[in-house]
Amino acid sequence: MLEIKNLHVKIAEEDKPILKGIDLVVPKGELHAIMGPNGSGKSTLAYVLAGRDDYEVTDGDILWNGESILEMEPDERAAAGVFLAFQYPMEIPGVAGLTFLRTATNAVRRKRGHEELTTPEFMKLVKQKAGELNIDVEMLKRPVNVGFSGGEKKRSEILQMALLEPTLCVLDETDSGLDIDALKVVSEGVNALRSPERAMLVITHYQRLLNYIVPDKVHVLAHGKIQRSGGKELALELEQSGYGEFGEKAA
Amino acid sequence: MTVAVMKTKAEQSFAEGFNEMRATLPGSAAVREAREGAARRFEELGLPHRRIEEWKYTDLRSAVKEALPARSGDKLAMTIADVIVAIGPLAQIDAHRIVFVNGAHRPDLSTPGSLAGLEVESLASTLEDAQATEFALSGFAGQDSNAVLALNTAYMSDGAIVRVHAEAELEKPLLLVNIRAGAQPCFAAVRNVLEVGAKASARIVEAFVSLPGAAGDGQINTATQINVGDEARLTHVKIAADDGSGVTHLANWFARLGKACEYRGFQLTQGVNLARNQIQVAFDGEDAKLDLSGVFLGRGTDHVDTTLVVDHAVPSCESRELFKGVLDGHSRGIFQGKIIVQAVAQKTDGKQMSQALLLSPDAEFDSKPELEIFADDVVCGHGATCAELDKDLMFYCQSRGIPTDVARVLLIESFIGEAVALVEDEAINEALMGFARDWLSK
Ligand SMILES: Nc1ncnc2c1ncn2[C@@H]1O[C@H](COP(=O)(O)OP(=O)(O)OP(=O)(O)O)[C@@H](O)[C@H]1O
Ligand SMILES: [Mg+2]
Repeated sequence: MLEIKNLHVKIAEEDKPILKGIDLVVPKGELHAIMGPNGSGKSTLAYVLAGRDDYEVTDGDILWNGESILEMEPDERAAAGVFLAFQYPMEIPGVAGLTFLRTATNAVRRKRGHEELTTPEFMKLVKQKAGELNIDVEMLKRPVNVGFSGGEKKRSEILQMALLEPTLCVLDETDSGLDIDALKVVSEGVNALRSPERAMLVITHYQRLLNYIVPDKVHVLAHGKIQRSGGKELALELEQSGYGEFGEKAA
Repeated sequence: MTVAVMKTKAEQSFAEGFNEMRATLPGSAAVREAREGAARRFEELGLPHRRIEEWKYTDLRSAVKEALPARSGDKLAMTIADVIVAIGPLAQIDAHRIVFVNGAHRPDLSTPGSLAGLEVESLASTLEDAQATEFALSGFAGQDSNAVLALNTAYMSDGAIVRVHAEAELEKPLLLVNIRAGAQPCFAAVRNVLEVGAKASARIVEAFVSLPGAAGDGQINTATQINVGDEARLTHVKIAADDGSGVTHLANWFARLGKACEYRGFQLTQGVNLARNQIQVAFDGEDAKLDLSGVFLGRGTDHVDTTLVVDHAVPSCESRELFKGVLDGHSRGIFQGKIIVQAVAQKTDGKQMSQALLLSPDAEFDSKPELEIFADDVVCGHGATCAELDKDLMFYCQSRGIPTDVARVLLIESFIGEAVALVEDEAINEALMGFARDWLSK
C-alpha cells in the first residue's frame, strides 16, 4: 500500500513550495488516476516518489508497504518496487538500449535477491516483452531513446516497466504523444501488469485513457493539494466542467 | 647577445647521461652524428617551458624534476605470460606482436614468423645500415626546435621499422608493445617508423604499458614517423596505459598522408601522470581523409596534454578530430588543435571537437582550438565543451535500479565510446574500452 501523508515539497534550490499537503492512499491491487491543470504539481509528485533530488520534502512522509521511502536513494526505491514512467523520457547517447535494459534488470534482480539473467535468458525475455508492446528489438540496439519518436519513447518506458516488474507503478502522462493504436497497445501493457500485488498511479490529462485503463479512483490535484477524489465518473465530469471550480482560493 | 640560462637538474642529467651512454647507443657513424647534433640541440633548447606558446599549459622544465637513467630491458627475465598480463585487454586481439622491454627489442617475447605483406625490423639492428638510417631519420624535417624529439634522436635505443608492401592487406593487426618493467625507474626512448605502401591496408597499434611490479616512476619518450601511401588505408592506435605513480609519457607523431589515402589515428592515454601527445599531420596528396581521435583519462594530479597540428597543404582533403577527456581529482587536461588550410588547399573540409567531462570541481580542462585559413572555398569548424556528469541522466539510470557507481561508469563509457567508435575496428574498440573500464574500476 502507498500512503502519502501531508506531503509538502519545495524545489531544493528555491523557496518555492509546490506540493502543499498531499494526502493519498493507493492500496495494493488498485489503480488510481491523478488529473489536474498544468503546473499543479503532478510530475513533481511523481518525481518525489521516485526520489529525484531536485525536490525537497519539507514536511510529511511517503510510506510504501508501511515503511518510509524518503531516505532511500532512487535505485534503492527501484529495487523496493517503485517505477516511474517519465513524462519526458530521457535520451542516453552512447548507451545501447539493450545494455541499459540488461544492466537495469539485473541490478534490480540482484538487489531483490534473484539470480541475474544470462544474456540468452535476458534476450528471450526482452523479445517477448517488446513483442507484446509492438517494439522492434532492432530499435533497442540503438542508444537509449535517441532518435525515438515521442510515442516510441513512451512505449520504451512501458517496456522498462515490464522488465523491472515493479510493484508501485507511477505513469506520468504515458498517453500523451501516443497515436490511437499505440494507446491501445500501451494500455494493454499496463493492464497486463495489474495485479493484486501492485499499486498503480496514473497521471493523465485525458479521460480517453481511462476508457482503456479503468481506474478504481480519480483524484484532482490543483495548487499543490488533492482537491477532490471520486470514482471513474469524476474524469467524465471534469471533461465537461474543466478545472474552473478549483480556483486559487480553493487551495 | 646570448643569455645564459640556468640548466635544471633534469636538463643537466639528460646531457650527462648522453655523454655516458653515447658509446653504447646503436648506429653507424652517420647515426652517431645525428645523435650528437640532437644532443647539442637539446642542450641549447632545454626542456620546453611555459613561455614557449605551444607549451604554455605544459611546463616540462618545472614538471620534469629529474632524468631517469636508461636501462635496457634486453636481459630482464620475462616470459610471454608476463607480456599477456602487461598488455591486458590487448591480449584478446589476434595480432602479430613485436615486444620491446624498457626500449629494447625482445624477439623472444614477440610473435615468431611474419605476416604476408609486412616487414618489421628492429631499429637498432638497422641503424648500422646507411640507407635504413636515412629512412629512419628522414621524416622529421623542420623539427629543429622540438626539444622532446631532439632528446629522442639523441637517446633512441630501439623501435620498429615497419614496411607494409604496396597493395598488401594485412590480415591481422600489428601490435608494437612497449613494456615498462623492472623495479628500477628508467627512461626509454623509442622510435617507430611506419611505412604503408600505396593501396595497402593495415592496422597498427603502439602500446605503452607496464608490468605489475614495475617501478612507480618511469619516463617514455616516443617518436613515430608515419607515411601513408597513395590510396592506402591505415588505422593507427597509440595506447599509453600505465599505472605507475610518476610516469611521464612524451610522444610525437609525424604523419604524411598520400593521395586519396585514409588515415584513422587514435590515442588513448590513462594512468600517466604527465603526458604530452604531440601530433603533426601533413596532407601531401589530394582527396585524402584524416580521422584523428582520442580519449584521455586523468585523476589525482595527472596532466594530459594533446597538441596537434593538421596541415592542409593540398586541395580537397577532409580532416576530423574528436578528443574526449574524463578528468577527476585535481587532474588537468589540455587540448590544443591547430588546423592550417594553405592558400592552395581549396575544398578543404575540416572539423574539430574536444570535449571534457569533469568529475571533480578541482579538475581542469583547457582547450585551445586554432584555425589558420588562407583559402576561401573551405568548410571548417571547431568546438569545445566541458561538462559534468548529467545529473538528470544519473537520476534516470538510478530510477531504473542502476546504482550510482554503475550509472557513472555507464555514462562515462558512453561519453568516451563515441570517440572510440571512430576506430571502426571491433576488436581494437573492445580492447580500448577494456583499458578504460580497468581505469574506471580503480
Ligand atoms: N526543477 C524545477 N525547477 C523550477 N520549477 C519547477 C521545477 N519542477 C517543477 N517546477 C514548477 O513546479 C510547478 C509544478 O510543476 P509540475 O511539472 O509538477 O506540474 P504538472 O502538474 O506535472 O504539469 P503538466 O500537466 O504541465 O505536466 C510548475 O510551476 C513548475 O514550473
Ligand atoms: Mg507533468
